[in-house]
Amino acid sequence: MSWTHDIHPEPKSFLSKYIFSFDHKVIGKQFLWYGIAFLGIGGMMALLIRWTLAYPGVPFPVLGNLLFPNTNGVVPPDTYAMLFTLHGTIMIFYAITPILIGAFGNFCIPLMIGARDMAFPLLNLLSFHIAVLSGVILMASLFYPLGGAAGGWTSYPTLSTIIGSPGAGQTLWALAIFVLGVSSTMGAVNYITTVISFRAPGMGYFDMPLTVWGLWLTAILNAIFIPVLSAGVLLLIFDRVFGTHFFLAGAAATSGTGDPILFQHVFWIFGHPEVYILILPAWGMVSDFLSFFSRKPAFGYKATAMSMTAVTVLSTLVYGHHMFTTQMSPLLTQTFMTLTMTISIPSAIFFANWLGTIWKGSIRFTSPMLFSLGVVFVFGLGGLTGLYLGTVTTDLYLHDTYFVVGHFHYTMAASVLLGGFAATYFWFPKMFGRMMNEGLAKFHFWGTMLGLNGIFFGMLMVGYGGMHRRLYNPFVYEFMKDLVPLNTFITISALVMGVFQLIFVWNFIYSLLKGEKATQNPWEVGTLEWTLPSPPPHYNFAEIPTVKCGPHEYGNPALKTGRDFQYQTEELVVANSAN
Amino acid sequence: MDFLLGLLGELVGNSFSLNSRAFFDVALPEDISTNGHLIDGLFNYTTVLNILFFVLVCIGIFGFSYLYSHKRSPKAYYTYGNKKSHLIVTGLIGAAVFLSIDLNITRFSNDDLLNTFWNFPKEEEKPLQIEVLAQQWMWNFRYAGKDGVFNTADDVMTNHDLRIPVGRKVEFRITSKDVIHSFYLPNTRLKVDAIPGRITRMWIETKKTGLFDVACAEMCGTHHYMMKAKMTVMAPEDFERWQNEAELLAINTNDKDNLDNYWGWKWENN
Repeated sequence: MSWTHDIHPEPKSFLSKYIFSFDHKVIGKQFLWYGIAFLGIGGMMALLIRWTLAYPGVPFPVLGNLLFPNTNGVVPPDTYAMLFTLHGTIMIFYAITPILIGAFGNFCIPLMIGARDMAFPLLNLLSFHIAVLSGVILMASLFYPLGGAAGGWTSYPTLSTIIGSPGAGQTLWALAIFVLGVSSTMGAVNYITTVISFRAPGMGYFDMPLTVWGLWLTAILNAIFIPVLSAGVLLLIFDRVFGTHFFLAGAAATSGTGDPILFQHVFWIFGHPEVYILILPAWGMVSDFLSFFSRKPAFGYKATAMSMTAVTVLSTLVYGHHMFTTQMSPLLTQTFMTLTMTISIPSAIFFANWLGTIWKGSIRFTSPMLFSLGVVFVFGLGGLTGLYLGTVTTDLYLHDTYFVVGHFHYTMAASVLLGGFAATYFWFPKMFGRMMNEGLAKFHFWGTMLGLNGIFFGMLMVGYGGMHRRLYNPFVYEFMKDLVPLNTFITISALVMGVFQLIFVWNFIYSLLKGEKATQNPWEVGTLEWTLPSPPPHYNFAEIPTVKCGPHEYGNPALKTGRDFQYQTEELVVANSAN
Repeated sequence: MDFLLGLLGELVGNSFSLNSRAFFDVALPEDISTNGHLIDGLFNYTTVLNILFFVLVCIGIFGFSYLYSHKRSPKAYYTYGNKKSHLIVTGLIGAAVFLSIDLNITRFSNDDLLNTFWNFPKEEEKPLQIEVLAQQWMWNFRYAGKDGVFNTADDVMTNHDLRIPVGRKVEFRITSKDVIHSFYLPNTRLKVDAIPGRITRMWIETKKTGLFDVACAEMCGTHHYMMKAKMTVMAPEDFERWQNEAELLAINTNDKDNLDNYWGWKWENN
């Protein structure tokens, strides 16, 4: 593929270099900082929530008096509702999305496909600054007289309309999501175009690293389904501000009636693909890392790529399983249940491929590898627990309990977080030109795994015990009295996990300033970004490379170069005898 | 320091006392319904197969990590995993998961749903009929009263107080006044949403008398956690006595002119 892409000139001033940069690498780093900052805020909110569940009525230590002076440091019930609403919103839209898609999508796609920048650098710049605007709107909503949004991250009407939440906070929440949708759509269009038109000469779709596959499929889902969510929240804003009745019914509707269930349909048409929007980049990265560090080609590369595509397609057809308890018609219920179950076929195939990749490898247990193996473990648990919820009768019991919370945290939070850490440790040298400390990284891994499984497995258990979601104090119920110790255990696990994240923050900042200088290719990996210096120059590739082999050429016995891997720019070495 | 010691005490004292309980019996609410075992049974079936598959995944992760570490296995096996034998194994794993878990639980669940949970009691079975109105943050129950017709002046209405007879089918018709709630009876393993503008249905049959919780499972505002009613499952003769008293009381004390009392609707059999 030949192109003569007239790239933007190298910036000279501070503003054009670090703030209003067109460079995909800088925008990627901006998204990384943005995401990590929100990850910290969302994580603190999680600790406040957990503290309340384990020790209802006990002041939050140290920060409590500062945050809630009116109640002597105890989290009040209305604040509690805002906390879990914003925890969900922030983690999904303002932490995971910017880190996995914004940061690594931006940084990796052009470097891994041999391009000088994204297809639309201006769109890319706008995408970040609109995301900042959205973040400001979201945080501002907290400071309005009646407080922020408090209807859960799903914000079901009619609770999220004027009847349930009269404050301006909920309107601003919807506005923030709408604005963020604009940013995500801009990014998605950019990624799709870049992957289709800017691949280096010689790179077919099946020569792309699986990371790019994951990010590309995510971008496609984003481009299709983010506008659906935007439409939903826009109608919600209409209901709140202009007095329309799209989602109002019953006593709430003064003239004519709408239907609150309509919002649920719109929300989950987007909401189910969203799960895959978040996890697909992590799947892609893990598929690559397992191969890179097993020093062995990815097992069943094409099957993995096609399975990921199949999941992408199926993810658009199953959203109804979020709504079994609204009592849809039996036909719809059965259809959604059966379609949901079919997702496990492609999932089982790429699980088998992941294990096939490390089978008979020569595994180097670097930090990205440990985190990748962690993803396989926690996604296994997350995927299997989904079966209970996709089955309608068990869902009648488990719906809206902590079992659901445990399940989606395993799939979205645990898997994506571990995948994000793997990516950070892996690409940090390429991004910043320095290495992160491996010892601390491994310590961080084990601590995180310990805390994370304590939290989320504990949640599965209390959910099975019948504890439902979003309760300020669950122990007013007789049948949950026995769950107090388990809730305390979950909270302690959360505190442990929180403490271990400080190690990451320390490692990140220290390495940024004083870390060991990174070589061009510290992990001995053959994809295109490692043919460049660390960090890469403004133009990435002085000369656009020609791709001659796949992304996973490791352990080829015919190699005579002294390396056990090949760069994608090298002709595939073939042994004389057929193998 | 006190705080840390307290935390340690909690950890050792409380959390680990869980070991005395069976792992998956973690305080599961007592099943008082005739059909709850269908849901528990399906849960256990899925669990057994899930454990099997997860153990396989773990054997893969930990076993391969041990066997094929860089030290033990300095040279990797160069394969793309596209040999016929590889494809067969991968395909078999996909098929095994689908055939053993997916198809079976879909079939079981489908049968239970259509034959039991959504197979609502017929008129000739004489189910007890109750209308439920959820509102922030209260459960309102309505019985048809002496005349057997809903939304008339003699209806029995209770707040937070649900009374049903043991061993008789009870059908609920549920709606909401303001926001979405969810009518959740943990001891019968069932819940259904209460949605403004719609009527949803649920039926149960109990096999044990006593006091149980009715919870709201859908976030419905600040006091969502307090939206709790009690369900009294009574012996048939006790229930009849209560019903007679309540019906008399309703006839004598219901305010016929208060429009707020007419939140019910006509019960249509189908």
